[in-house]
Amino acid sequence: MVALARKTLIYEWRRFLPAMLAVGFAGLLQLLQIALVLGIFGATSLYITGSSADVWVGYPGTQNVGSGRSIDADVESRILLDPAVTQIEPYIWVDGDWRGPHETGGVSVFVSGIDPAADGLMFSRVLPPALRARLAEPDAIVVDRSALDQLGVGLGQIATINGHQVHVVGVASGLRALGGVNVLCSLDTARRLDSDVDDIGPTYLVARLRDPRQADAVAQRLRGDKAFGPYTAWSARDFARRSELYWLFDTGAGAGVLFLAGIVFLVGAVITSQTLIAAVNGSVREYATLNALGVGVAALRRVVLEQAFWVGALGLLGAGVFGIVMLLLAHSQDVPVVLNAPAALACILLVMGLAAVSGLAAMRSLRRVDPATLLR
Amino acid sequence: MHDPATAPAADQIALRAIGVSKAFVSGNLRTQVLHNLTLDIDAGELTLIAGPSGCGKSTLLSILSGLQKVDSGRVQALGSELGQLDLRALERFRLEHTGFVFQGFNLFPALSAFEQVELPLNHMGLSRDEARHRARLSLEEVGLAHRMRLRPAELSGGEKQRVAIARALAKEPQLLFADEPTSALDAVNGQMIIDILHRIASVHGTTVLCVSHDPRLVMHADRVLAMEDGRILSDRRPAASAIDNHGIPS
Ligand SMILES: Nc1ncnc2c1ncn2[C@@H]1O[C@H](COP(=O)(O)OP(=O)(O)OP(=O)(O)O)[C@@H](O)[C@H]1O
Ligand SMILES: [Mg+2]
Repeated sequence: MVALARKTLIYEWRRFLPAMLAVGFAGLLQLLQIALVLGIFGATSLYITGSSADVWVGYPGTQNVGSGRSIDADVESRILLDPAVTQIEPYIWVDGDWRGPHETGGVSVFVSGIDPAADGLMFSRVLPPALRARLAEPDAIVVDRSALDQLGVGLGQIATINGHQVHVVGVASGLRALGGVNVLCSLDTARRLDSDVDDIGPTYLVARLRDPRQADAVAQRLRGDKAFGPYTAWSARDFARRSELYWLFDTGAGAGVLFLAGIVFLVGAVITSQTLIAAVNGSVREYATLNALGVGVAALRRVVLEQAFWVGALGLLGAGVFGIVMLLLAHSQDVPVVLNAPAALACILLVMGLAAVSGLAAMRSLRRVDPATLLR
Repeated sequence: MHDPATAPAADQIALRAIGVSKAFVSGNLRTQVLHNLTLDIDAGELTLIAGPSGCGKSTLLSILSGLQKVDSGRVQALGSELGQLDLRALERFRLEHTGFVFQGFNLFPALSAFEQVELPLNHMGLSRDEARHRARLSLEEVGLAHRMRLRPAELSGGEKQRVAIARALAKEPQLLFADEPTSALDAVNGQMIIDILHRIASVHGTTVLCVSHDPRLVMHADRVLAMEDGRILSDRRPAASAIDNHGIPS
C-alpha cells in the first residue's frame, strides 16, 4: 500500500507545520496548566500524601485537612481494637497567628502537631528523621525553606505563635502550603499553642494498617460507631482527593482549568482544521483523479483522517519533549509542578481529540472532489 | 445490469449513448450542451472526438465514462446501464473497467512515478507484488523504466503525462478516456503520447476514446467523430493505410 498520507505529510511538511504547531502548543499549554494546578493544589493534601498513614479518623463532614474539628481522644482505643490496625497516632491542627523577629505583619500559619517518635506516621515522607527527632524539644518548630522570608525568621531564631514562644530548629523542603505557612512541632507543643478552649482532643487520628490495600474497607468499618461522640474515617486516598477537590472548586481554579482547556481546544481545532482543509483543497484535483479511477471517497477520507492522526501524533511528540524540559526546569526553580498518569492521559486525549475533530472537519471539504470537473 | 437486447453486440460495441441530452443551468441561463445524441463506440479502437471549443466534447466524455449524469437518454458501458448505478456502484465500475488521462497530469507531488501508478492498484484488491509488477510493466511500456523513482517535480511535462497514462494503463482497463492529453505538450512529446494511445488500442485491445484538437491525432485514429454544437456532424474512418500500420509504432 502506498502511504499517501504519510508521504504527503513528509514531502509537504511546511504546509502541515502550522497544524502541528497548533496541536503541539495546545498540548503543551494543557500539560503545563494541569501540572501547575496539580502542583499547587497538591499542597493541600500534602499532610496526607506526605505521611504513611493509611486511614484517617476525624470530625464528620470535614471537607479538607485544614478545616477539621477536635474529636474525642478515647476514639483511639476504639480504633486500636480493629485487628487490621497496627499503629495509631494523634495529629493536631492549630490555626496560628505568627509574629516573627522582623516586622512581617500578621502571617497565618498552619501548626501541625505530630508525634516526633522515629516511627511516627505524620510527614514521614517529607521530614528527615534527624529533624523529626529535634521536634521532641519543647517549643521547637520546623518550617519550609521557601517560607523563611515570608515568616521573617531564620534558623535558630525565636518567634511567637498565638502569643507562645517557639524557636526554629530546622528547615525542610516540600512543606509548602496553600494560603498560609506550614509549621511542624510536637503534639505537646501544639497543645500549648492551641488557644481554643473547646479543643479537647486531637484533630485527627491517623492509623497504619497491616495491609494498606484494605484502607477503604477498614475506613468503612470504623465509621459506624457513635459511642465516643462524632467521628468518621476515610482512607488516606479518599481524604486526599476530598481535600484537593475542595480547593480546586472552592477557589474556582477547577472551573478555570476547564475553561482554559475549552479555549485551547477550540483555538487548536480551528487552526488545525483550517490547515488540513487547505491541504485537502491543494490536492483536490489529485484526489478527484483517484476517484475517477475508481478509488472510493471512503478511502480518500481515510487518507485525510490519517493525516490528522499524524499531525496529532507529531504535535503530541513535540509537546511531550518540550513539556518534559519545561517541567524539569520548573522543578529546578522550586515551581510546584506535578504530573501524574491521569493528567498526562487527559492531555493526550485532548490533543488527539483535537486532531480527530480537525480531521473530520477537513474530511467535509472532500465533498468538493468531483472528477467531472477534471473534464472541461 | 446486462441488457439482453445489447448483450450479443457487447463484443463489438463498448460504449453506447442513446438519445442523450444534457444541459447546464447557471442562474437563469440554460445551455443545452448535448442534443439527443446517439452514438456507438466500437471496442478495441482508438476513437477521436474533434470539434470547436465549447461544443460539448468533454461533457460527452464525462457522460460516457459515468462521471456525470444525463438529463435524458441512456448510456451503456460494457453492457452496464450506467444510469441505474448508484455512486458506489459507479466507483466500482470505474475501478474495474476504466482509465483516465486528463489534460492536467494531476500527479501527487509527494509520490514517485512508480507510486503514482501503484496507488490505484492498491485499491483494486491486487496483491502487493502483483500491483508492483503491473506498475513496473506499464511504466516500461510508456518508456519510463529509468525514471520510476522520480517525483513529478523532477519530470518533464511529457514524462508526467506518460506517468498519468501508465497510471491508467496499469489498471488494464477495457475503457480508456483521454481529454486533450497532448494540449499541454510540445510537438515531440505530443507525438509520443499519441503513439502510446494508439498502441494501447491496437495491442491491448482497449477501447480508447479521446477528445482532441490535435490534427496529428486524426491521422492515427481508427475513427474520427466531428462534433459541433452538441451533435455529431460526421463520422469517418481515415485512410486504410493508417489501419495497415497498426502494429508498427511510428
Ligand atoms: N458544470 C458546468 N456548468 C455550467 N456549464 C458548463 C459546465 N460544464 C460545461 N459547461 C458548458 O458546456 C459547454 C460545453 O462544455 P465542454 O467542456 O463539454 O466543451 P468542450 O467541447 O470540451 O470545449 P473545449 O474544447 O474548450 O474543452 C460549454 O459552453 C460550457 O460552458
Ligand atoms: Mg474540453
